Amino acid sequence: MKNQLRNEYDIVGQPTPKKDGALKALGRAEYADDISMPGMLHGKLLRSPHPHAKIVRIDASRAAALPGVRAVVTGKDFPGVKYGNLPQTRDYLPLAVDTVRYIGEEVAAVAAIDEDTAEEALDLIAVEYAPLPAVFDPEDAMRSGAPLLHDKAPGNISAQVAFEFGTVDEAFSRADYVRDDTFETQPVKQGMLEPHACVGLWDDSGKISLWACKMSPYVVWRQLAMGLGVELGNVRVVQTFVGGGFSGGKQEAMPMDFCAVMLSKRTGRPVKLVHTMDEVLTIGHMRHPMKIWLRTGTDKEGRLLAQHCKMIANGGAYSSIGGFSMYLAGAMLNIPYRIPNLRYEAKRVYTNNGFCGALRGHTNTQICFARDSQLELIATDLGVDLIDIRHRNALQPGEKTANGFRIGTFAFDECIDRVVELSGWREKHGKLPKYRGIGFGCGSHISGARLMGHSASAAQIRVQEDGTVQLTTGSTDVGQGADTVLSMIAAEVLGVTVDDVRFARVDSDSTPVDPGTFGSRVTFFTGNAVKRAAEDARRQLAEIAGKRMNVDPDDLVFRRREIISRLDDRQRMSLKEAVRWGAFQTGQLVISHGSYAAGDEKIDFRTGHGNLSPAYNPSACAVEVEVDPETGQVKVVGFWGADDSGFPLNPLAVKGQVIGATVMSFGPALYETLIRIDGKVMNPSFRDYKMPLTTDIPKLDNFQHSNVVTWEPEGPFGAKEAGQGAGTGVIAALANAIYDATGVRMNSLPMSPDRIFFALKQNKEKERAAKQSSAAAE
Amino acid sequence: MSYLRRLPKFEYLAARSIDETCDLLAAHSNEVRLLAGGTDLLLQMRRREACPAYIIGLKGIAELSGVTTLADGGLAIGAATTIQAVMSSPVVREKYGVLAEAAAGIGGPELRNVATIGGNLAGALPCADLPPALITLGAQVSLRSRNGERVVPVEDLFPQFGMTVARPDELLTTIQLPSVPSCSGGAYLKFHDRQSMDLTTVGVSALVTWDAASRTFRDVKIALASSAPVPLRARKAETLLRGRAFAEDALEEAALAVCDEADPRTSWRATRQFRFELLKSLTKRAIRGARQKAAPTIGDLS
Amino acid sequence: MKHLLPIALRINGERHDLLVPPWRTLLEVLREHLGLTGAKRSCQEGQCGTCTVLIDGKAVNSCLYLAVEAQGMEIQTIEGLAKGGVLDQIQKSFVQKGGVQCGFCTPGFVLATKSLLNDNPNPSEDEIRVAMVGHLCRCTGYVQIIEAIQDAASQLKHVGGS
Repeated sequence: MKNQLRNEYDIVGQPTPKKDGALKALGRAEYADDISMPGMLHGKLLRSPHPHAKIVRIDASRAAALPGVRAVVTGKDFPGVKYGNLPQTRDYLPLAVDTVRYIGEEVAAVAAIDEDTAEEALDLIAVEYAPLPAVFDPEDAMRSGAPLLHDKAPGNISAQVAFEFGTVDEAFSRADYVRDDTFETQPVKQGMLEPHACVGLWDDSGKISLWACKMSPYVVWRQLAMGLGVELGNVRVVQTFVGGGFSGGKQEAMPMDFCAVMLSKRTGRPVKLVHTMDEVLTIGHMRHPMKIWLRTGTDKEGRLLAQHCKMIANGGAYSSIGGFSMYLAGAMLNIPYRIPNLRYEAKRVYTNNGFCGALRGHTNTQICFARDSQLELIATDLGVDLIDIRHRNALQPGEKTANGFRIGTFAFDECIDRVVELSGWREKHGKLPKYRGIGFGCGSHISGARLMGHSASAAQIRVQEDGTVQLTTGSTDVGQGADTVLSMIAAEVLGVTVDDVRFARVDSDSTPVDPGTFGSRVTFFTGNAVKRAAEDARRQLAEIAGKRMNVDPDDLVFRRREIISRLDDRQRMSLKEAVRWGAFQTGQLVISHGSYAAGDEKIDFRTGHGNLSPAYNPSACAVEVEVDPETGQVKVVGFWGADDSGFPLNPLAVKGQVIGATVMSFGPALYETLIRIDGKVMNPSFRDYKMPLTTDIPKLDNFQHSNVVTWEPEGPFGAKEAGQGAGTGVIAALANAIYDATGVRMNSLPMSPDRIFFALKQNKEKERAAKQSSAAAE
Repeated sequence: MSYLRRLPKFEYLAARSIDETCDLLAAHSNEVRLLAGGTDLLLQMRRREACPAYIIGLKGIAELSGVTTLADGGLAIGAATTIQAVMSSPVVREKYGVLAEAAAGIGGPELRNVATIGGNLAGALPCADLPPALITLGAQVSLRSRNGERVVPVEDLFPQFGMTVARPDELLTTIQLPSVPSCSGGAYLKFHDRQSMDLTTVGVSALVTWDAASRTFRDVKIALASSAPVPLRARKAETLLRGRAFAEDALEEAALAVCDEADPRTSWRATRQFRFELLKSLTKRAIRGARQKAAPTIGDLS
Repeated sequence: MKHLLPIALRINGERHDLLVPPWRTLLEVLREHLGLTGAKRSCQEGQCGTCTVLIDGKAVNSCLYLAVEAQGMEIQTIEGLAKGGVLDQIQKSFVQKGGVQCGFCTPGFVLATKSLLNDNPNPSEDEIRVAMVGHLCRCTGYVQIIEAIQDAASQLKHVGGS
């Protein structure tokens, strides 16, 4: 099946280098900080040193008087309209007005002739704070008497969700085996290499322009208009090259964006603001730390009968997209295994820490860590084979989950089997030398989602008279390869090359509105829109060519920049000839558009019921580790993963995505964590916020990923997502590998050397004590 | 709460010789900092932990850099020699392997191409990797001022946390290493979470001189990184091993003795308790590794 | 003005005469005075490698190097690699092998690769990893970067060096 598909297409299915790769390798791609405009000023943000305080007074007079300073703004300079991600939880302001709620929150901004002066000016802004009691732990924050962060949120509950599917209590009573475990995960930052940066311009005509590294420029466009109290039509957001996103601040309008344009209004000049990396690591935007209590009931053979999950998420000071995150974690419990009865209760709690939102994997990484770690514990207790238990519970194509997900293609069994084969699982598990182990982990993800707000994508195509194709969408390439894959789709349909397609970066003045790049939606949603736009362009071209050649348009095929009659291949013309003829002779331009909305099913976010995504991806992996018992250090020596991403449109990019997602999970599993003491981030530096390096991944021969190829009918040319699912099973696989290697079960992330060392020590002492008491007994 | 900033203002003085540097140091005493590699100093300045009015740049002083074999068989290394140059010097690799090993573990190539051995010493950071290796090699440094020169053993260089005995008008010019006795081998082991780049959680340098005839430790030198407010020589452990046979119990005792002398702190990076445990493991491994290099034909303990 | 120093920098074979304050790093001068924005501003601490340039063929973090101290040396930035718009082999390999995603780390990795292959034209996989530890990448997971470097080494061998 796989080979057949590949031969059928000219473009899709072929490994294709990234279209903008050469520009980036030349160092010529313009990122936001690379922008320079005549008269441009440089901005800096002043941040709260307190985790919780009232702002009594701000005196910026000395700062404003510093030579070289051109403007200072504070919260009062904005209309006071709150903006945010979800309509019910808009709590962001461009700059704090009366209260600061976490160390690092933005309080004022300065524009000056250079950064040095702007920095000096910050020192001269006198802010009088009245510190308030602060709270950092979610359980403390929920107790009565705890400091209240937001008036409208008693008990500091930011979001609360409760779902129930099936008959949970009844199912538990039937279960042969029940266990519960608690897992804890840590705050994780996006870790992109490019810090947030923007240039803002508010010109004399009232037009506001922002050049910024945004993954979802239209979200920013709307938030800016709302927060500034201006008409959308007066706002223009231009997407620069994005140096890594992974969600977070690049998904939304940030204080720097608001301040850049406001400072520009004051000064009449463009204003650039760039975060330092320690600012990036200090501010909000990170993965929710979670405490997950999971009770699972199964039959004797490990079939999941019921699950009850109680989760507390440390949401930090503001809502961000947290309300949706709470729904999503519960939803993700429903895949990739069959859970007929499920109760899920989650609370997102405000604390005086940096706020949390979406980050690659979005709640799924935490949930899969808990669930797949526990699954092994269950299997071990029941004496069920670790692989069999996965197969036994694997969702199958065509099934519907308890919460209403309709599973289309879902080659989960094949993914599991492929990993067992590639990794040598059967020869290794339980058989490796002491302190060497192998663990299995599974996960899954969605291919885009039907959200409450903007879900649908659209694309426009204009075929030019030189045969090139101008493709515009509102989705962004953030490095993942959307520019190339979307161009490949258009090229395949129109019979041109990938290089013939010009993919434009987003400019809200000229590209179609779009939800943006998140939730693994672009290949699927926007890809479908592009395919439809290309098909319409092809229809128009066939009509023109048909007229010109006197051939029935239905008999025309498009290949290698030509339009050819399938009945007589002597009847042919070049694509560009057809465009010219149409334009010159009949005034018919080839302009098309297409859209995709994944149907009009609605999710009931209160009950959690509904089919969130048009397609789902299963993921399986095995990881082999070597643990040094004398230090607790874990070395990842082998990794084998298999994912069903449908038909991989660009195998080169799919490989980059699945390996990228995988390695991005190594860190949080083993050593990556944001360390906070009383609300202060202790390690806002890449030196101490440790992400994997080249020496932290297995040897290439032992690092393999395989695509289990299926054909998803809903997806463009059968494709599904590839950017997030692959990372979801990795952390559990590592936990399970550490268990196989050492007998120590780590339930708390990161599974850092000190924790493993002391857990091992404790285990040894228990063993010794047990031996002694059994010896004494004899 | 301050975030990394642009460098503060300073006046830059490019010194062309050691003498000129000493003159400049004397002239500007307390408002001057020396810039060798700059990879630590520039960061301190970005954090506003250091705001010197003057910076003396040492990169242009040829005489301050280089590895020279001495007549007595020892080695002299210019303080401004880069970590990379130390690590790749054939004579350092061959005769002072533990120093090359310690150097190889510092950061990555970009850092090693610029950071210097003198800077690694003068910075007086307890987590620095070269001081323990140098201590076990019996190294000394020359401190030069307008008034003359004095020689200080590296193990006496650090009187307290964050400081060296160098006076404000002194320049650390050379690191001298005595020739290493025959049948010697060294090992530097350090622990950190990732496989590279991290700051050292604890580090142990061991230099073993092996007596083949009696099959005992003729001499042992042990020094530690990140185990005390200063780079620390573990004399008790050394004394304990001298004259002993190579046996598990000897290693165990030495490891405990090291823990006895060490005084690691608890920080958000690692607890004191964990550092002690690491010290135990690393001490044994470093001694084993050093002994293996000192007497490669003799097998290890099984 | 006391605070400005006249300096001469040789960058990509060209001489640039500038007037800069001594507290400007090489990275800042490249980006802000010369418009050579290929070297990036990221961690500014020598941990990420995005600011890497070659000084006399050796990879250094330009964020931790004073501009005044870069005089009298041959500085090569990413802009100086391609000849007449034709990609250098290393750049080609990075593009062909999927070693470029968001691209922010790419100039740093490419220059570090150039330095590596100049010293060691036939590096083992381990030697490649060790040579690249000063470079963070959050997108690729490094596999395709290592493959790109291996490809570049192999291609350059066939042509008999760069």
